[in-house]
Amino acid sequence: MNIFLQQLINGVFIGSVYGLFAIGYTLVFGVLDILNLAHAAVFTLGGLVALWLVQNAALSIWLAFPLATLLSGILGLVINAVAFAPLRHRPDTYFSGLISSIALAIIFESAALGIFGARTVRFPINTITVHIWQVAGVTITSLQIEIVLIAACLMAGLTWFLRHSRAGKAIRAVAENERTARLLGIHVDSIIAFTFFISSALGGAAGILFGLYFGALSPDMGRSIELKGLAVIVLGGMGSIPGAIIGGIAFGLSEVLTVAISGTSNLRDAVAFTVLFAILLLRPSGLFGRKQIRET
Amino acid sequence: MDLHHIFTQFYAVYGSLINFIGINSLLAISLYVTLSAGQLSLGNAAFAGIGGYTAGILTMYLNVPYMVALCAATLMSGAVAVVLGFPVLRLRGVFLAIATLAFGEVVRILAINLQITGGAEGLTPIPNKTQAWMIFTALALVGYFMAVLRRSRIGWSFASIREDETAAKAMGINTTWYKTLAFTIGAMIAGLAGAMSAHLNYIITPGEFGFSAAVQLLIYNIVGGTRIWYGPVLGAALLTALPEILRGIGVSAGPVRMGVNGFILLMVILFLPNGLVSLFSRRKD
Amino acid sequence: MKRSQIFSMYILIVTALFFSATLTPAPAKAAAPEAKIGIVFSMTGGAASYGATQKNGAQLAVDEINAAAGATGIHIKPFFDDDASTPQQGINVFKKFINGDHVSAIIGPTLSDTAHVTDRIAQASSVPVLGVSNTAQGITEIGNYVFRDSLTEAVVVPNTIRTAKEKFGISKVSILYGNDGAFTKAGYEAFKKALLDQKVTILSEQTFAKGDRDFSPQLTEIKSQSPDAIVVSALVEEASGIVSQARQLGIPASVHIIGGNGFNSPSFIKNAGSAADGVLIGAAWSSTASNPLNQKFVKDYTAKFGNPPDQFAAQAYAGVYIVYDAIQKAGTPFAPAKIRDALAGIKNMDSVLGKFSFTSGRDADYKAVLQEVKNGKFVVVGE
Repeated sequence: MNIFLQQLINGVFIGSVYGLFAIGYTLVFGVLDILNLAHAAVFTLGGLVALWLVQNAALSIWLAFPLATLLSGILGLVINAVAFAPLRHRPDTYFSGLISSIALAIIFESAALGIFGARTVRFPINTITVHIWQVAGVTITSLQIEIVLIAACLMAGLTWFLRHSRAGKAIRAVAENERTARLLGIHVDSIIAFTFFISSALGGAAGILFGLYFGALSPDMGRSIELKGLAVIVLGGMGSIPGAIIGGIAFGLSEVLTVAISGTSNLRDAVAFTVLFAILLLRPSGLFGRKQIRET
Repeated sequence: MDLHHIFTQFYAVYGSLINFIGINSLLAISLYVTLSAGQLSLGNAAFAGIGGYTAGILTMYLNVPYMVALCAATLMSGAVAVVLGFPVLRLRGVFLAIATLAFGEVVRILAINLQITGGAEGLTPIPNKTQAWMIFTALALVGYFMAVLRRSRIGWSFASIREDETAAKAMGINTTWYKTLAFTIGAMIAGLAGAMSAHLNYIITPGEFGFSAAVQLLIYNIVGGTRIWYGPVLGAALLTALPEILRGIGVSAGPVRMGVNGFILLMVILFLPNGLVSLFSRRKD
Repeated sequence: MKRSQIFSMYILIVTALFFSATLTPAPAKAAAPEAKIGIVFSMTGGAASYGATQKNGAQLAVDEINAAAGATGIHIKPFFDDDASTPQQGINVFKKFINGDHVSAIIGPTLSDTAHVTDRIAQASSVPVLGVSNTAQGITEIGNYVFRDSLTEAVVVPNTIRTAKEKFGISKVSILYGNDGAFTKAGYEAFKKALLDQKVTILSEQTFAKGDRDFSPQLTEIKSQSPDAIVVSALVEEASGIVSQARQLGIPASVHIIGGNGFNSPSFIKNAGSAADGVLIGAAWSSTASNPLNQKFVKDYTAKFGNPPDQFAAQAYAGVYIVYDAIQKAGTPFAPAKIRDALAGIKNMDSVLGKFSFTSGRDADYKAVLQEVKNGKFVVVGE
């Protein structure tokens, strides 16, 4: 039973990291109906920049974290300005936006490769003090708790922001109907840029937490989470913030439970994607319905 | 240097590149067919894999003649597409893309885990049977087929589904049938290309048709332009040759070349809204 | 529209430049004999981290050789290129090396998948190729022009398992391996065979995929089976995570972790930290081996690149020297066939890997090492 409990903890933990990655992804989709495929590259750069700040600028992680998050947000502004804004009024904006964001992702990854090198690196061992607790054969670490808490705070903060702040309401208005929002005097272009800022800041934050916990950062670390992130936002319903979180945890649990139940891990990813496939066919709106961003 | 020498020299260095351009053009067209009916599939790389493995297994283990193996691969990919197509083609836009992507991932993971596909190391040595003339004959035939298709009732139905699926349905077009048809034709072309590629490279590995390969086909289409079938061919040709072009003009190997690659892709998207084809056709605006 | 015209001009110019660069006739031969060697590694794509240190290792060897050759000796003119971790790019590079640059020998490529394809081109063109990191089966079987200086897991692993069994009395183990990479899969097969040969019980086989960072589900399963040891076939990116997460989950240090070539990198110790202690690693090279050539290499490499070398760097470095040795024995840098014969004849050559020979099947033949991590350092504990 303890093993099973441990597996549940494993699943919830990795799932909340997936969820944090996915909320930024789904936010842009909710507002623009566009997939930003450079999101994973921002995830990578966020982690690497934070590492650089800790290692080369000798900053505390508590300072490096917000700084690198801010920088990731700025990358989001760049993505919007370069890859999406110029294409917004083209009839094929959906396809061309996919490709231009891929182009930007390639440029970002090559920059990461050129600047930080190809090696897998980690935060210095003493960046953050980690306590390991073992209770009745179940292991949990202080870093895991901190990461889940930070992720939860960011998610709750985002939800509150969208619901109650002026800018958040404007974002929801644009998501609902761009033309109406414009008529209401909302500066739609700035709101979209701002959405990219938040989305990428969250993506970068996810990269930092991921790097902190798993101790392995590399220019291609975004690749494997990119596909999982896509799966997560579909599971949760495209554009839904709570859906992305629950979808993340559901995806994390499905990975872990495949191993726990079958005892082997060969088909772990196959099961996860088959489940995704089945859900798409049976409930295309996601597990929790198509709760658009306007309904958070 | 006489002309003959220049030509032989060029072919010696770039012969395989030219073959890859042919294969990648076929793959690009395979997605073009699906796109021409308004359906974004990211499963065509997986169909190429299914074709490659089918043909490779037939020639390696059963000594089936190459041409028969090619046909079998094409039919196999087509059959899988029919079975897959009916349920998934109810989905639209990004949902279809993700469903086909999930299908592709499952195929890739199966290829890693199955004995008969050679697991992670891939299936090797597959006999080297594909020659340049075969690739380009196939490409010419497929191109001709596309040109004919475009002017046929089928092509017209594809176009009307792409423009407005609901309206097409209202006009009495059996949209499910035509969408599945487009999906299946695309899968068959992909299967053929995959089979030819496997018999060109001696090997097929699961890594060759993952997510990035699927996305690459979409890139060929968008860069080349999807208004006409030779758009994707132009896109595939430019992007396949790009690393060699960059090498030729002295862009050093490594991150810089990768970055320039991304930059050129970005420039094409931003400044050539209808892809490379718009350079060759008179524009209306 | 103007923009598209500018763009087409740009395309035209680029294409023109491309052709002119391709078709320039080869310059007249210089006075000092120069051996053209094509060196291709994965500098971008999935295997970029290995390609980077391989290139450094090869670069260092080329610089040393050219400095030592003086005004009259044979120099090496290296052509470095990138296969982008894909067979297609590898093929293009090989064609360019052989038919465009007319190299006398090729070193690389990084990945076995790529080598499976490219080495056939070298074989068909009768240009010797030396793999410095290919460990999959069937590479050197391609033909008599294909060599490698990398010891395969099948050579390294049996020793590791035998010693581990004698030293720690292991009788039941769990295996964890990457099932989607040729290298880690081959390592798993070698481990499994060695374990069965030694009559060690295998409790379970768990897998992971390239790029995974979370191994806790598999390790939790393994923990519940209480093995004597965990046998891991992984590359360094995954290896450090596996080891640290195993210890974090409370798998005690008395459960030994046994790894192969993939663990043999300073990054492993750096990234796994104190969890690396006690890990047993069977490998093809040791950074702490006392052989003077090796000590000089480690020192010079660290001084030049700011990081200590890993096994990939060492094998690439040795590869350049092996090819150079063959060129000298062949007496000419321009005859690939003679260089091939000289390569095949290499016996007991002093190298950073130890006394190096080729087997009759053109595979590497030298002593593997068994290392244990002690206090954050690789220590040789057996051969």
